[in-house]
Amino acid sequence: MINTSKRSAALLEVDGLSVTYGLMGASSRAIENVSFALGAGEAVGLVGESGSGKTTTAMAIAGLLSPNARVSSGEVRYRGNVLPIDDDAAMRPHRWSETSVVFQGAMNALNPVHRIITQIAEPCMLKLGMPRGEASARARELLELVGIPADRGTAYPHELSGGMRQRVMIAMALACRPSIVIGDEPTTALDVITQAQILKLLGKLRSQLRLALILITHDLSVVAEACDRVLIMYSGRIVEEGTVAEIFAQPKHPYTRLLIDSIPNPANGKKMIRPIPGDPPNLMNRPSSGCAFHPRCPSVMAVCPTEVPSIDQFGQERVACHLYRSSQEDRGASHA
Amino acid sequence: MSESTTRYSPLGPARAVKGFLQQLLSHGGAKVGLVCLVFFLGVAVMPNVLVGPLQTAVNATGDFLAPPSSQHLLGTDEVGRDVLNLVVHGARISLTIALLATLISLFVGTSIGMIAGYYGGSVDVWLMRLADFFFVMPSFVLALVITPVVLEVMGRGGDILGFRPSLFVILVVIGMTSWAFVARIVRSQTLSLKERTFIDRARVVGSSNFSIMVRHILPNLVPQIAANGALVVASAIYVETSLSFLGLGDPLQPSWGTLLSLAQRAGAASAGAWWYLGAPGVCVLSVSLSFVLIGNALDDTFNPRRRVIP
Amino acid sequence: MRDTTDILRLESLQVHFPIQGGLFDRALGRPAGAVRAVDGIDLNLTRGEIVALVGESGSGKTTVGRVIAKLAQPTGGKLLFEGRDITSERGSSALRPYRHRVQMIFQDAYQALNPRHTIFDIVGEPLRSLRLVDNATQLAERVGEALASAGLSPPGDFFSRFPNELSGGQRQRVVIAGALAVKPELIIADEPVSMLDVSIRAQILQVLVDLRSKHNMALLFITHDLPLAWSIADRIAVLYLGKLVEIGSADEITFNPRHPYTAALRNATPQIGGNANPAELRALQGEVPSAARVPKGCRFHPRCPLAFDRCRQDEPPSVEVGPQHMSACWLAQ
Repeated sequence: MINTSKRSAALLEVDGLSVTYGLMGASSRAIENVSFALGAGEAVGLVGESGSGKTTTAMAIAGLLSPNARVSSGEVRYRGNVLPIDDDAAMRPHRWSETSVVFQGAMNALNPVHRIITQIAEPCMLKLGMPRGEASARARELLELVGIPADRGTAYPHELSGGMRQRVMIAMALACRPSIVIGDEPTTALDVITQAQILKLLGKLRSQLRLALILITHDLSVVAEACDRVLIMYSGRIVEEGTVAEIFAQPKHPYTRLLIDSIPNPANGKKMIRPIPGDPPNLMNRPSSGCAFHPRCPSVMAVCPTEVPSIDQFGQERVACHLYRSSQEDRGASHA
Repeated sequence: MSESTTRYSPLGPARAVKGFLQQLLSHGGAKVGLVCLVFFLGVAVMPNVLVGPLQTAVNATGDFLAPPSSQHLLGTDEVGRDVLNLVVHGARISLTIALLATLISLFVGTSIGMIAGYYGGSVDVWLMRLADFFFVMPSFVLALVITPVVLEVMGRGGDILGFRPSLFVILVVIGMTSWAFVARIVRSQTLSLKERTFIDRARVVGSSNFSIMVRHILPNLVPQIAANGALVVASAIYVETSLSFLGLGDPLQPSWGTLLSLAQRAGAASAGAWWYLGAPGVCVLSVSLSFVLIGNALDDTFNPRRRVIP
Repeated sequence: MRDTTDILRLESLQVHFPIQGGLFDRALGRPAGAVRAVDGIDLNLTRGEIVALVGESGSGKTTVGRVIAKLAQPTGGKLLFEGRDITSERGSSALRPYRHRVQMIFQDAYQALNPRHTIFDIVGEPLRSLRLVDNATQLAERVGEALASAGLSPPGDFFSRFPNELSGGQRQRVVIAGALAVKPELIIADEPVSMLDVSIRAQILQVLVDLRSKHNMALLFITHDLPLAWSIADRIAVLYLGKLVEIGSADEITFNPRHPYTAALRNATPQIGGNANPAELRALQGEVPSAARVPKGCRFHPRCPLAFDRCRQDEPPSVEVGPQHMSACWLAQ
């Protein structure tokens, strides 16, 4: 559980959030007991493989869960107020003006028959009730903000490159002046150099607009470059949380450690990549008990298959692993 | 390397078929269509058991144009034949012609559509112009042209594959005019299939064009062919009926269309003999409707937007 | 067999796709252009060597792979396999000996497997179509062997399963098993891990690296990921807009790039413990131009931070800048 008094300044607090999907009569938990806080202007990376629940977490925060999903416990607070995340109609005034989302492959979400400036002006008119002229001026302003010359606004989506279109999507996400932007794999479909440009743009927007950023990605190195803090998710739970510097210098959870080891990194000359055995579990075949990572974990202990590790605080970090809990207890015992 | 084998709900072929049937039958229309179709197929398989041999003017049993009674459930025609007897025997002729014509059209349409789509270029252009030609050709005109030729060659009395010459003409005409529709659909589907990576892989592992078409493209076309095949049968029944109605049928092997034509000529409409016109008419309507219902349900079941083709 | 002989050689390979002009262009007799996807590439692979072909989308790297796999026909240049020109060989029977020795692995394993075939049929297909087995027993033996060496064991468990019953990593292993079944001497791997989860990537790469050490198989590894190329390859070739801008040993290209594009690519790649400050992310300005409108002179000059007059006029030749290290940049001359 989150220490609310300590983090009262948080912009967004996610507290014990669990989301269940109804699938063919059965129901399965997509995320379980997810808690974290986000400060104004802070960038948090939400890292996990497919099926880890990172997208579900983000969609829950934005109130964009699919109809067969249900918030079974927990809540999301924005500036201390509980958000009605499972009520589509009640969520409407909060969406886009408090939290907005830039989707993966969003470049294809643009309507091909309208000029981009019209598409950016539309949310301004609909959401903020701006008159056409004002909305159009705002759209030009937004285009300049994301690094597209305002004159290019008359272009149609197909005339722009993938990177440009992703910039347009970011401009649309900023239209209603949100204080949090959620990027769902916003650079995955882009080339390396374009990705760097977009990450640079997001960094600039953060400092310029004091924008908080939740970056959902499977790519640890993107997080290393663009975020302050990292949340590592595995099989629906947060397994580790910490600052970028801490996590990459001294990962605690065996999964995080293996994940970092499986990325070749010329910066430290680490050429040999170490495979993690097995497949990441999907929604349907998660281990029924204990720590979800135990079938693949090299440091597995007797307790791991039976007991779900609780997430414990270690200074600035949080880790959910029996390895650390037992050592803490040992320490406690030796002190006593 | 030890890898825990992840099992994703193993679906054997048997279970896949079962799932498919369940999904198909969840359409109300498909249920109605299947029941109706099974009934007519049953009737067509054993007409002699149900109503005895086909009646002719010689062995007719009833009055002229008698309304339905306990003895003649569907009344009689202008020479005293039992309409029920005629309709039941007509089912066999009509369904056989429609199904055979559909087979011809599916075979020709699939081969030509697949070859055109797979090879592309000038092969595609020429085959599709040929398809366009047959697509716009009115079946009645074609029948008028072919009939005398067949009759000249085969003689009026003989039969071809058990069909009287004029019925054979109808069969061929329907086959010739409906394949173009199938070819168009198959071609467009082939065009999208051949861009799939598994076709590239098949070429890299050395498969010949023929084997790629037969082993990779054809099985993935089956849903489209099945769904459209049902629609082709429906239209074949209509075309057969109208051609027979216009007088191309054979009185010795009366189909439903022939019966309608005979009824028309006997003045059944003006004489108020509704049973004579109505019985074959309802049969044509219900059989083609059931094929349309099944076709639509198949299309829905296979539709990739609703379900990824397994 | 000599070990350092070239197994594959590309000589000024060129693939231009014609552009169909619009109705107006044709009526006015305007010449329709061409997309210069691959615009004169020289590359060689020796036996048992792993070469990575690195480039962004639109660089032509996939087209090069498709030409070598005989899925695309070059419009110019030569493709030599063991010194024999096979540029114009076509047709499945003529290519049978070549296919036996050169196989390909695809990016999207799900798309690369026919959803209606069983794993046995899929892995057995090359053995059947290349006539490498005489009977069913032999076929089953070879299929099992291939599945096992791709890390799918016990192989028998997979024979009658369909692709949609497997996980992403297992599907890619099936594709690899299909390529391995014929015991090729060269495998072209087109982004084989980019669609896979991070924790699975290393497993698949391990399988590929093992092939080289066990069977001395050569590998052309096509990727957009420079660190990944560095970790697996002996040599890296960097492709920009259809031309090789730099080629050299993996370490040289990664740590001592001599072409501004390679340097930009390296700097743009996010790294753990690389740039601490996100604002420091150096991104090149602009985007890759269309291959239909290749810039005059050096094709990188509109985006190059170091461009000078000569770059706008003349195309730089590829020159040796170190042992086995070539760069096509006027600054390297």
